[in-house]
Amino acid sequence: MLSIPRKVFFPFLLVMILAAFVGTIPSAVPPVKGQVISDEWRTSLEAYLLEVDRNTTAEIVIYILDSLYGNGIMKDGTEINDIVQLGVYIFNELPLDTPSGSVVGIGKKGKDNGVLVLVAMEEREWRIEVGYGLEGYITDVESKRIAEDYLVPNFQEGLYGEGLSDTVVALAQEIPNVDSTEQMPTRGRYVYDNADPLNDEEIPWWVIALVVIFVIVLISFGGRLGGSRGRGWGSGGRGGGRSGGGGGGGGRSGGGGSGGKW
Amino acid sequence: MNSKWIIVIVILAILVVGIILVALYYGTYNSLVGLETNVDKQWAQVEQELQRRYDLIPRVVNASKLYINYEGSILQNVTELRSQWAAAMQSGDVSAINDATGELDSAVSRLLVVIENYPELKASQVVEDLIVELEGTENRISTERMRYNEAVGDYNQARRVFPANMWAAGWGFEARTYFEAKVGAEEPPPVNID
Repeated sequence: MLSIPRKVFFPFLLVMILAAFVGTIPSAVPPVKGQVISDEWRTSLEAYLLEVDRNTTAEIVIYILDSLYGNGIMKDGTEINDIVQLGVYIFNELPLDTPSGSVVGIGKKGKDNGVLVLVAMEEREWRIEVGYGLEGYITDVESKRIAEDYLVPNFQEGLYGEGLSDTVVALAQEIPNVDSTEQMPTRGRYVYDNADPLNDEEIPWWVIALVVIFVIVLISFGGRLGGSRGRGWGSGGRGGGRSGGGGGGGGRSGGGGSGGKW
Repeated sequence: MNSKWIIVIVILAILVVGIILVALYYGTYNSLVGLETNVDKQWAQVEQELQRRYDLIPRVVNASKLYINYEGSILQNVTELRSQWAAAMQSGDVSAINDATGELDSAVSRLLVVIENYPELKASQVVEDLIVELEGTENRISTERMRYNEAVGDYNQARRVFPANMWAAGWGFEARTYFEAKVGAEEPPPVNID
């Protein structure tokens, strides 16, 4: 008699927890879909920026939005549509996926040595947001000049990979190296591409429903097998604020940098 | 036997309640101290950025004077409002600072628009760099001001909720004012620039 409710209860609980995760993730982390830069460029940018992180501990992050409107980045229940405010929010408050979980804040905590290169494809607007700790190395004027020399001309030609690559190389050259004793855990991910030239491939609700039902069935039948409950589906680290893990993150900015159009 | 136990339980209960009350009292006090410190720290950030703007304006005005007739122009207006702002800061009166800052805000926005419309001005590298700096400063001011207001909101709310509302006034924690850009009645609405 007692075994039936228990059998039902635990899978139910698990499904509820899963559902809670599925429900909360999109609001915190907008889905990365479509692509503006090719896989080759992406790989090479990631590799280069990881190298920069190793040599300087600075984190240069590229964030590509398909548009300032409908970006899904919310603050206090309203979407942010101003590129300056978006830059500040993404830099300081938006949880971003990295290999060591979800991380808030670009640049290392305490050093505030992050740079955000934000582009909105539809409005053809760019913004470079510089962390507090790098304002002395990359002044507003320097950031503007770098963007106008490298980002704008390439983007006008549709050479997005080249434009971003040249821009981050020029930015990185302004940041001094640290010696090996000062090295810190690296961030591990630097490119976030939210633009969508292809049609979006969101998972339809019925696929999620099927997966949930499948999970229920699986758990109900497999419940007796020892240890199956311990196997985790979710990675866990995504839920709240900053991950305690080894990755970077935690840097702050206050509106420094520059912006413009291409 | 029985009454002895009752006494022990009553004493224990009083002790537990007492400890909880003391913990609550000091915990509330400490959290208010923390939140108020945060408000002050954030105000210092705002002040620093306002000072940055104060230092930058004369350079922008001087560089632009070559191209814009100074007398009766936006340049003169900005210069005057800058002095008024400094006087308000000296006085330390919060509402005066709010008003003076708001007026300077809108004057600087208008200056940026005016310069945008002067091709000769935009052609000057010196002016262009100063404009980039001024825009950056305006962005910093609005970011730090927003954070200051958030800090004030957190602090004021913590002051008002139970049990802090019974003690906050007695401890000397006063409600803090938001730092909002108030535009004077005779001023035109601030020009929105991208």
